[in-house]
Amino acid sequence: MAPGESQSIESATATIRPDNKTRRYDRQLRLWAATGQAALESCRILALSASATSTSILKNLVLPGIGHFTILDPTVTSGADAGNNFFLDGPNSIGKLRASEAVPLLCELNDGVEGRADTRSVQEVLEQDPSFFLSFTVIIAHNLASPVLNKLSALLWSNESAPALIVVRSSGFLSEFFIQFHEHDIIESHSESAPSLRIDSPFQSLLDDALAVDLANMDITDHGHVPFVLILVRAMHDWKKEHGGNPPKTYEEKQDFKDTLGLMKRKPDEENFDEALAQAYRAWTPTAVPSDLIKLFAALPDPLSSSAPPFSHLLLALKKFTEQHDGHLPVAGKVPDMKADTKQYVALQRLYRAQAAADAVAYRALLDPAACVPDDVVDLFLKNAHAVRRLQGAQWGTLDRDPTKLAESLDMFPKETATHLALAALAAWQTMHPQPPEPGVNEVRPSAEELSGLAARLLPADVELPEKEAGDAIGEIARAPSADLPNVAAFLGGLVAQEAIKMITKQYVPVNGYCVADLVETWTSTLAP
Amino acid sequence: MATIDTYADSGHVSVSDWDHRYYHVDQVLDRPGPRTDPDFIPGDAVKSFLRDQCKILVIGAGGLGCEILADLALSGFKDIHVIDMDTIDISNLNRQFLFRPKDVGKPKATVAAEYITRRVPGVTVTPFYGKIQDKDDDFYMQFNLVICGLDSVEARRWMNATLVNLVDPERPESLKPLIDGGTEGFKGQARVILPTITSCYECSLDMLNKQTAFPICTIANTPRLPEHCIEWASVLEWPRVHGDKKMDTDDPDHISWLYEVALKRAKEFSIEGVTWSLTQGVVKNIIPAIASTNAIIAASCCNEAFKIATSSAAYLNNYFMLIGTEGVYSYTFEHERRPNCPVCGGESVDIQVPKDWSVERLIEMLVEKQDIQIKKPSLSTPTTNIYFQAPPQLEEATRPNLERLVSDLVPEGGEVTVTATTLPFSLSLRITYV
Repeated sequence: MAPGESQSIESATATIRPDNKTRRYDRQLRLWAATGQAALESCRILALSASATSTSILKNLVLPGIGHFTILDPTVTSGADAGNNFFLDGPNSIGKLRASEAVPLLCELNDGVEGRADTRSVQEVLEQDPSFFLSFTVIIAHNLASPVLNKLSALLWSNESAPALIVVRSSGFLSEFFIQFHEHDIIESHSESAPSLRIDSPFQSLLDDALAVDLANMDITDHGHVPFVLILVRAMHDWKKEHGGNPPKTYEEKQDFKDTLGLMKRKPDEENFDEALAQAYRAWTPTAVPSDLIKLFAALPDPLSSSAPPFSHLLLALKKFTEQHDGHLPVAGKVPDMKADTKQYVALQRLYRAQAAADAVAYRALLDPAACVPDDVVDLFLKNAHAVRRLQGAQWGTLDRDPTKLAESLDMFPKETATHLALAALAAWQTMHPQPPEPGVNEVRPSAEELSGLAARLLPADVELPEKEAGDAIGEIARAPSADLPNVAAFLGGLVAQEAIKMITKQYVPVNGYCVADLVETWTSTLAP
Repeated sequence: MATIDTYADSGHVSVSDWDHRYYHVDQVLDRPGPRTDPDFIPGDAVKSFLRDQCKILVIGAGGLGCEILADLALSGFKDIHVIDMDTIDISNLNRQFLFRPKDVGKPKATVAAEYITRRVPGVTVTPFYGKIQDKDDDFYMQFNLVICGLDSVEARRWMNATLVNLVDPERPESLKPLIDGGTEGFKGQARVILPTITSCYECSLDMLNKQTAFPICTIANTPRLPEHCIEWASVLEWPRVHGDKKMDTDDPDHISWLYEVALKRAKEFSIEGVTWSLTQGVVKNIIPAIASTNAIIAASCCNEAFKIATSSAAYLNNYFMLIGTEGVYSYTFEHERRPNCPVCGGESVDIQVPKDWSVERLIEMLVEKQDIQIKKPSLSTPTTNIYFQAPPQLEEATRPNLERLVSDLVPEGGEVTVTATTLPFSLSLRITYV
């Protein structure tokens, strides 16, 4: 599709005033646009309990408008549940099924969302109806008992197209979560890094335009409005001619280059030349394929089967393009704002767009037609090529099965790893004491010593727990092992929902690893998977 | 008007506290943790303070405010007050979860207070639909803690300065901890301010993102961006065509008019990208906002309030910053006080002024300078009224000074006092000439 065509469609739809739904979602559409919203609206979320943390997470997914959620929870609301969960009706819910009580109160937040209560247990569904889990997009497991969690995690891991599993653990002020996925591809990473403007290695039409500017004789007003891009391309061209084809390399040479820019000014207040000075480094910094992309290229299977994911085909075509184009990515076609008058700025925009269109044609010729990648996806990919991401995930629990890696992590990130170990130790203790705590009936709590022993078991025999960090984390858990604190639940509710949204929309970059949070000291940190 | 539920004033543990209601929260109130201050005394006294005595004020019942009210209520705060001057708009419903479509147009504070009072038995939320500036020192003095969930810099500066001014060294209870939260898209921050002790909001003014302001000559003569065309429509064309009729950015007819005018100009200059949504975003200065970021920041604020009210854990010292665009990145640090902070510092700000600057040029600088940002400042020295924005007679009398040189009015090393009606403090400048 020609750029002009897509523009006219965009402006045609934009003349229509936003409908009520667009108005309702306006503040989030400005972050993830209609494509992200459509992905949310077609997703299905499963929460494996109606705990305070689970309902807080669901609240932040229902509000932005997911398609469907199910709460799987067989328990009956206790007095404790009614006290810490905003999505239970206080004392009125006590004695009733927790899932059935929570669903209508969550649905009330957004009538575009469908909610369902399922009062079977996870164990029961795993045994009798395991394919049930595969009908969801994301599954959220808060404080799910380890034996059941391990079974579920294995079931989902065995199937590449199974939903992502977000494992959330919390106890008192401490918490962590982990997203289990095989691979996660992101075209719209919303990276803050901008694509190269190719100032160091101008494409032909850019060089031609820069050389065609008659800086010496042009009108003085126009001179103050020549875009800095053209100034730099021109200055670098002249510099290379006088320096054997080389850009400035040493500090002194770079200063000399800047001095020549300063001398090009005809009036002291020409801001476009000030911009050129400030951006001068772009003229000598070579445009290269970003290192993340080089790694992705290297990891592509060779040859690639037609049935491989579209993203792999897009990457392969990108790799071939860079090989044929001197290590350059296709021009993205977007020009940042800069000091210029309308005419010169619009002309520069057209120049980059024309090159982007030409590069797109060359790029499409390299794309395997059998992969059938839709045109709009190719367009989106080309606009974001410099910042596309592919995350390699891991199965839940991989780290805990690797004592050496845990020890390394403990060495590098002692308090974060100690917090993770303390939560893992609590899960292990709960496996040994499967009777859930019940106020006034069963209030057996783990001692700090028991938890330390269980944490130490995950480490190599010769590695000791760091006294201060482990003591702090384990002591905090021994203090309030079964506490689902309202503020911690709300905090996780935001964090986990946010990561789920990134997974679902495939925009922005989700956490890959264990996100650990300590709300005694108010910090978060991420440990590698 | 709101009625105050009398039973919260009774001071007794209410009948609505069913068995095990506070099972979760009590686990951290019945025992200390390894990092808890040794002075913390677990048990009934701290619970009683939290639930029967502590009085907390929430500023803002919007994106953060709704979350804050729910979190505080579940944490055990029972006497909560909330102030908000806004009414509910349909675009609030994607995150302000105490509001429903039927509430559009009603005051946020009132609807939010009713919702919490209904959902969390025994909690009283007292709303005030109005401005924070409508309340006096006595009003603010009655609270133990204040939490701000605002989107306005001006309102935060006012609240911050008011609480700093409230501090009387003879009366420890006059020091009201201020917890401030803010969000923008996937980013946010929460901080704890102990007025006169830690860095205050004014101390960190230079951390704010600079507002993008487009030079008027670009808008008038050399537009490049769709935003320039929209600014042209709203800043230049609206007053030219409509005269004194005020532009209402909440009126879709007005936005449509601006959109059409901006689009026409964009076509004329071959500029692409003017849309209805962008027009609305530019003229209303819309900041993206989502439920999840608000939940995280509000939870951090309430967690700090809970820790301060109970001493069950040390509170944040003093700044938590979150960026959620790429993974979860956060940074917890101590923001330092600014010795020449006009609110809590007391020292005057040294400023270098070129000898040929007019008073008008100095005012322009005060408006723009990142750590000052005073809109419509009035200037005086101990002996002269340099320029006053109001009242009209004084403005007229001092207007000729705008064109005079600062160096003619203020001696080298002289002090200039800067005030503004929007800010409850004055800034003292010490001028040196260059």
